[in-house]
This record gives sequence, C-alpha cells and structure tokens, in this order.
Amino acid sequence: MAKTMSLSRRQFAKAVGKTALLATAATFPAPFVKGADPITINHWSWLAASDGEIWAQMINSFNDAHKDKGVQIKMEVIPEEQYNTKVLAAAATGNAPDFGWGTAGQRAQWAQDGVIVPLDDVAKQTGLDLADFSEFSLKMARYPKYDNKLFMIPMDLMSLQPEVNIDHVKEAGLDPAAFPQDGATLIEWAKAMTKREGDKVTRSGIMMTGSGVQPTVTWGIVAEQMGFQRASDDLKTAAVNPEAGKAAMQWVLDLFDTHKVSTRDVTDRYKAFGTGQGSVFWTGPWTLNGYVEQKLPFHTYLFPKIGEKQLTYFEMGGMEFYVQPDEARYEASMQAVKWLSDNSFLWTTKGRGASPRTSLLNHPDYKTAGHSWDVRGAFVDGMAIATAGEIPVLAGPNFTIYSGGNFLAKTLEQVWAGQKKIDQAMAEIQEQWQKDLDAG
Amino acid sequence: MAMKAARGRRSADEEPVDWVAYVFVAFFTIPFLLFNIAPIFFGAYVSFTKWGIFGKPKWVGLQNFRDAFNDEFVGIAFTNTVLYGLVIVPCVVVIGFTFALYVNQRWPLSALARTLFFSPYVVSATVIGLVWVWMLDTQFGLINHYLGYLGIDNVPWLTSTNWSLLGVSIASVWWDLGLAFVLFLAALQDVPRDLYEAAEVDGASRWQRLWLIILPQLRPVISLVVTLQLISTLRIFSQVYVMTNGGPASSSSSVIFYMYNEAIQRQLFGYASAVAMLLFLLIIAITIIHRVAIRER
Repeated sequence: MAKTMSLSRRQFAKAVGKTALLATAATFPAPFVKGADPITINHWSWLAASDGEIWAQMINSFNDAHKDKGVQIKMEVIPEEQYNTKVLAAAATGNAPDFGWGTAGQRAQWAQDGVIVPLDDVAKQTGLDLADFSEFSLKMARYPKYDNKLFMIPMDLMSLQPEVNIDHVKEAGLDPAAFPQDGATLIEWAKAMTKREGDKVTRSGIMMTGSGVQPTVTWGIVAEQMGFQRASDDLKTAAVNPEAGKAAMQWVLDLFDTHKVSTRDVTDRYKAFGTGQGSVFWTGPWTLNGYVEQKLPFHTYLFPKIGEKQLTYFEMGGMEFYVQPDEARYEASMQAVKWLSDNSFLWTTKGRGASPRTSLLNHPDYKTAGHSWDVRGAFVDGMAIATAGEIPVLAGPNFTIYSGGNFLAKTLEQVWAGQKKIDQAMAEIQEQWQKDLDAG
Repeated sequence: MAMKAARGRRSADEEPVDWVAYVFVAFFTIPFLLFNIAPIFFGAYVSFTKWGIFGKPKWVGLQNFRDAFNDEFVGIAFTNTVLYGLVIVPCVVVIGFTFALYVNQRWPLSALARTLFFSPYVVSATVIGLVWVWMLDTQFGLINHYLGYLGIDNVPWLTSTNWSLLGVSIASVWWDLGLAFVLFLAALQDVPRDLYEAAEVDGASRWQRLWLIILPQLRPVISLVVTLQLISTLRIFSQVYVMTNGGPASSSSSVIFYMYNEAIQRQLFGYASAVAMLLFLLIIAITIIHRVAIRER
C-alpha cells in the first residue's frame, strides 16, 4: 500500500535548509594550499586554427620542462568572439585566468578598470630581459594614458602583406620576381589576372569582400599611406587629413566599380583565395600554415606603396595578466611567460608572426626554420613598414581597421554598398572618433 | 485569548501538507524563476545603467534609450527584423499549411513527405545556416546553378544589400516549416470526418470545403502558429550570424544580432539591454495586436 509522505512546514523548511547547505558546500572547491600541490597556472587562449596547434606545442613543452618543478600550465581554448566576455565575467567573480592572449592597444578600458595588471615590476623581478625586445613592440605594449605602463609581454608581431597566387601570375605572363612596388602597377597586375564573364568578375585580381574586414583594413592601410591619420600623435585630434581618407575610400570603390578587379560576391575570403578565386590577397601570417598544408602555390611580397609612404597594418599578440585575488600568482605566471618568450623560436617561425626579440631574430636558423622564405619572408622583413596599429584609448576598438563589425566597418560598409556618400561617411567617422578621443 | 491565538497558529503550522507536489513543481519553477524571470528584471535594471560586467553598474537613467533612438543601426536592425517577420511568417504559414494538406490527403509518398517536411526542424539553426551559405553562394551555389538553366543570371543572395535579407529568410523558412507543418497536420487530423462527409453530400467543391470547413476549424492553430512564428522571427539570430554576419552594410542585421554585437563584442551591456527592452515591448505589442485581430469569436 502506498504511503503519502507528509511533512510539517517546519520539517520541510529544515530539510530544504540542510540540502541547500550541503549543495553550497559541495560547490566550493577545497582551499588552495601552497606548496602542497604543484602550482597550476591557468591560461586562456583563443587560437584555434593551425596556429593554435603550434601554441599547444609550446604549452606542452613548458609542461614537459617543468614536470618535476612543481608548476604546470593548464590551457583552455575559448572561442574568440566569447573571449572578452568570459574574461570579464571571470575577473568580476575573482576567477580570472592568470594570463591569456591579447592584442596590443585594444585594452585601454581593461587597463583603466583594473582587469589587466601592469607588468613592469613583476617582469623586472623575474629577470625578463626587456632590453631584448624591440623598442616598437614595447611601445605598443604600453598605454600612454595609464602612466605608460607595460600591460603585455609581446609574443609575436604581425603585418598584412600580399599573398599572391603564383599560377595566376604565370598564367597572365607576369614575372613573379617583379611584384608591383606602387599602386598603378598593382592595378595593372590585378587587371591582367582578373577573370570576367561579361561584366562580372569571376576571379578577383585583388581579393576583396563586399563587406567585413577586407575592405575596411584595405581602406585603413591605403588611407594612412595617403597621409590620413586616425588620431594625431598626442591622441587629441581625430581624423587628421580627412581628404586622404576620402581618397582612400574612392580607391577601394574603384577596385569594384572602375577597375573591376574585385567582386563584392565573395563571402569567405580565406576559402576563396585558397580555392583560387582570387590572385592577390593581403592577409596575415596566421594563414601560412593552412595554405602551405593545402599546397597552394603562392608567394608573399611587401605591401606596395600606393600612397605617399609605404606602410601596412600592424598587430601585436602577447600575454596579458588578469587581476588575481592572490597577488603572489603574478610572479609565478611571469616565470611561465618568461619561459614561453625565451623559447618562442618555434612560435615565431612556424606558429604565427615575427619575433619581437632581437636575440631570436639574429638566430642563424631564424630564416631557414619554418616555412620557406618565399611565403614567410615578407611577414618578417615587412615589420619594418608595419606601423598602422591600434589607437590606445578607451574606445580603441572603434578605431581598429582590422574589424568587420565595429563602428568604422559598419560606416564604411555603407559606402561600399553605395548607401552613403564618401563625404558623409568621413564626417560621421570624424565626429565619432573625436568624441572617442575626448573620452580618454 | 492570546494563548488561544498562539495555539491556533501552531496548529495551522503543524498541519500536515502534502509537499511532494510542490517538490515536483519546484524542479521546473525554480530554474524558470532563476533563469527566465530574474534575468528579465535584471536586464530591465541594467538597461538604465552603464555596465561592462566588470565593476558595478553605473546608473545613467534613460541615456541608453535616448542613444538607441538616435542610433542609425538600431533603426536598421528593427526595420530588418520587422521585414523578416513580414517575409518569413506568411511563407511558413502558407507553405506549412499546404504541405500539411498534402500529407493529410494520404496521397502516394505522403508518409515519406511527412518525414521530409519535418526533418529540417530537427537540425540546428547553425547547421542550416552553413548549408544554405553553400546553397546560396553567388558563383558556385546550387540555387544559382539551377536558376541558370532557366536563363536567370547569378543572384547575389548573401552579398548584395538588396538580396541578403531574402537569402537569410529562405533558409529560415526552410528551417521553421517543420513545426508549423506538424501543428497543422495534427489539427487537420482532428477535423471531424462527418463534416467532410456532410459537405460532400451537400455538393461542396474542394475549394469550398477548404474555405468553409477546414480553415474555420483550424483558426486556433493558425493563431498559435502565427504567434509562435512571429516571436521566433523577431528573435532571429543564428542564421544571420552564420550566413551574413549582419551584412553587407547591415542589410541583414537583426535586433538580436545587433544586441549580441553590442553586448558580447563591445561589452556595452547596459545599452544592449535597453535595445532588448525595446524589442520586448515590440514583441508584446505585436502579440497583443495579433491576438486581438485573430481572436476567437
């Protein structure tokens, strides 16, 4: 016979209370006991492609080298688009990872809020040889508005350089050894390699997309080459020389509409170049492993001088340290990052960008290790002309030229789509950026 | 007197209550309150603040709402979302109903058709998006390939500001059809056979039977499907994210996609919450208008 379970309110309340207490106790981990267990340093990364595999090798090498030394790195890969939100949520609850990947110049807000911590002192304590880093990399790792402190340990330097499909070059009767050095010749090459059906481009001489990152970053590079500045050197005036910025917008539009060497119909630029739908594609060193593995016949060259000065996009990846309730962890994390930096030969030859460390660049095997110099060389030598980096202010992401969804990209997309006049777009960009600079 | 009252309270306190029912209900109610209701109130609060997860929200009053009304891209996102509703909801209702009618007739292959019509619904929106990106590719897509046989030029489904919204809508209609189809089919099978027989005896044509018997009988289900579909379409996100990333030039952006960008990419949670509140009001308004318009008499 079934029994009905009857409890009084008081008994029920007690039972619920006990259950809740037990559940709460089970949720909290045992306290961290120093010295009793090996130290585990938590590292978050968003690298998920072939560069992620090399980075995982770096972490494994660290762990192998420190097996008996009581310290290990635990790496967790977070999807890139969720990375910032997860770090912020973790930091807000006191559970941030010890260190993770960041992009120089984009973290002014985090520096102000105390999500990332300054590293000058802890780097000194652990003996990280900052003198071995290039001056430019350290400059980019600092935030002038926050006492010019160092908020990142640079790991690799990246630039955008043209990757060129050599089969297309040969097919068009061009000389692969004489890649264009200026804008006019570049357009001639692009025209020679473009394929059309009637008026429609079916293979782009210059690989573009109708929206997103590619036209935005192209505009950013060409504009700065033509003399435009997103912010003055003192970070007080936005959009210096707007006429140059407008001329660069027209230059991008002409690729589609006047020269007809690009099509807006491409959605996935990486895939399109990999499948031969484009001949010249300016992109970064993160593409090398993939294209080399698929045996794409390509060489990489220096970005041509389209405007008054030859320059290209600059990006620096590095390790940033997140705020910890236990400050003693910073030193252990810096020891780990120091090891990773000192041993970053693999990362900076096969993984991704060029090394920021002079000792590695001068290593006799630096040019022969990794992929062939034909595909990799421009990403190392080209760092000399990579100066269009981030603007280190709170609203830095609004200024980023390598973006497909920020304020700049959304405004420019309307120009590429013929929905907004160039003058109006520039006026809006100037107004918003000035507000952003004024905000600090 | 006071002792009597105390005794009375105690006896009510000690009165055995069958709590098991509450425990069963609690398995649903507590997570629902925690994860559905509480976030709504929290979101409403955050919409009046400036907040980026780290640190305390800073009260800014109506500033986020003022910014939203002045933001050109919010206007575009809301307009697109309404357009999605205008394209997707009627298509899903009409095509879903037509498919259900076909299967309900038990014509040849109707058993296979039932599975085929429903199957897209069991696939995730992300997968649907990826498949349709390939199908709708301008140069190499299957759709343009077959349109070519009809002498139709390549259509830039996902890369033109004029077509991208329609491209995303096609994928959404294909995905959403399954649920509408099943609901309509169940309702059709509930229509009493004697009504059909009486109509046949009275000499009603097929069209008259559809118009005068089936549709009035299906009125509550049509109302349900339209409401569900409206709410689902106003929250469209995955297809937009996967297929066009809102572009080109925000032409396929939706409100939820815009909110995602503002909150997750830019950490402007206060502003994104304000936009969410505006969408919440829009959904409530549309639902009320719809309920009033298709109210059962």
